[in-house]
Amino acid sequence: MSSIVAPVAPDQAPLLARPYYANGAPGPIAGTMAHVPELLDVAMPFIGAALGPGAVSARLKEIAVLRASALLECDYCVRSHTVVALDEGLVHAEVRALRDSGPAEDAFTVDRERALVAWVDELATGRGAVDPVVEARMAEHFAAAEIVELTLVTTTTMMLNRYCTALGLPVSATVAERLSAEGLA
Amino acid sequence: MSADTDPGALGRLGSRLWFYSNYHCNLQCSYCLTESAPGVARRQLTADQIRDAARDGRELGFDSFGITGGEPFLHDELIEIVADLAAQAPTLILSNATVFTPARLRRMEAWAGLPVEIQISLDHPEPDVNDEMRGPGNFRKVVEAIPRLIDLGIGVRIATTLEDPENADPDEMDRLCALHRSLGVPDSHHVVRPIIHRGRAVGNTLGRDVVFDDFEPELTLTADGAFATPFGPTVRGGRLDTDLLVTRATAPLSVPVAALMRAAGEAPAGDDARTGIR
Ligand code: SF4
Repeated sequence: MSSIVAPVAPDQAPLLARPYYANGAPGPIAGTMAHVPELLDVAMPFIGAALGPGAVSARLKEIAVLRASALLECDYCVRSHTVVALDEGLVHAEVRALRDSGPAEDAFTVDRERALVAWVDELATGRGAVDPVVEARMAEHFAAAEIVELTLVTTTTMMLNRYCTALGLPVSATVAERLSAEGLA
Repeated sequence: MSADTDPGALGRLGSRLWFYSNYHCNLQCSYCLTESAPGVARRQLTADQIRDAARDGRELGFDSFGITGGEPFLHDELIEIVADLAAQAPTLILSNATVFTPARLRRMEAWAGLPVEIQISLDHPEPDVNDEMRGPGNFRKVVEAIPRLIDLGIGVRIATTLEDPENADPDEMDRLCALHRSLGVPDSHHVVRPIIHRGRAVGNTLGRDVVFDDFEPELTLTADGAFATPFGPTVRGGRLDTDLLVTRATAPLSVPVAALMRAAGEAPAGDDARTGIR
């Protein structure tokens, strides 16, 4: 897929974007957002805070990210976060189930992870109010702060899913190689 | 005095607010930062954009305005825009001084009594040498225009742009200075500066490299966003340089002002003496 917007080259990095270029060209999300430095300046710290280490475990966050990305059919996020999910200890069967658009809950045995998958399915595919049954399961297994964090993880991912898909962002060669090696290309 | 009207509120930022009124030009100089020429995209700021930003700029502490391009006098509403700006604060226009037709000079009479100055490029005392860089007939038009502008009560400054100002031929400089004095422009209104290695100067292997810290940060608004200096929104190979871009948003003006103050605060103190680019 071709990209409608090329990332800003390192020698053209705007002043506010320069911290993201300190070690050379950043990834394509920051590299394209650098075209609008004042948005990059607030978006990347927010994305980092939402998807990065937080009160909720990285494993739970990656379940949410990978599932939302699969349901929104974002090739960039699915492939990039397959690697992250494996690094966070998800097994191949879990990753395959999350990446498949069919039901994924059965790949998980822990009740709160099953409740989370149902919650993400509802957020990513539903319209309007959340199904009360799904809501009740979430409330049973997670505290208010955890629900907020996981919902922000999911909805931030959905924003990125559409951003990356619309702009046709390519995954890095490193990610592509790792996916091939894992048989998850 | 509230922070909004405190001139000190601009911190390290220069107190002149710059506008790129347009990018097109009747000339095509070999060192042009913006690759300006008659046929390029105009990328004009509208009169309302300039007026609104000027009003906000005064409230934020800017005490003067600058207009550059391209050739600003090719902007259809430039004369009215300058009248509005100069009614609020001293206004400097950078011009090649080759488009002062009698009709345009008559319209400029509306500036009487306003603090307007025009900075005109003149690079060499010999017409042929001057016109090598700036195009045929440039020298003659400039020396004809300067006395007319002075007659209108408009302040005139001369900017001389050289490849190597530190090693300029003293005889040539003497003759250039004698010329501008004879035209009514005192030494205090003559600036000599180096060619900057950006824009068309890159392809012509002219000028010296500069980085952000070489400039005093001066907020500069263009149709493409706000830049950290009037030397920022350069064009190379038809593509706008973004390395000195501050924000894409230019309104409200507080957005680029805050962003540039942050960028300037994080950088070491500027040293515009090194390049003499003011
Ligand atoms: S240097 Fe000035 S006069 Fe020459 S082409 Fe560029 S804008 Fe026009």
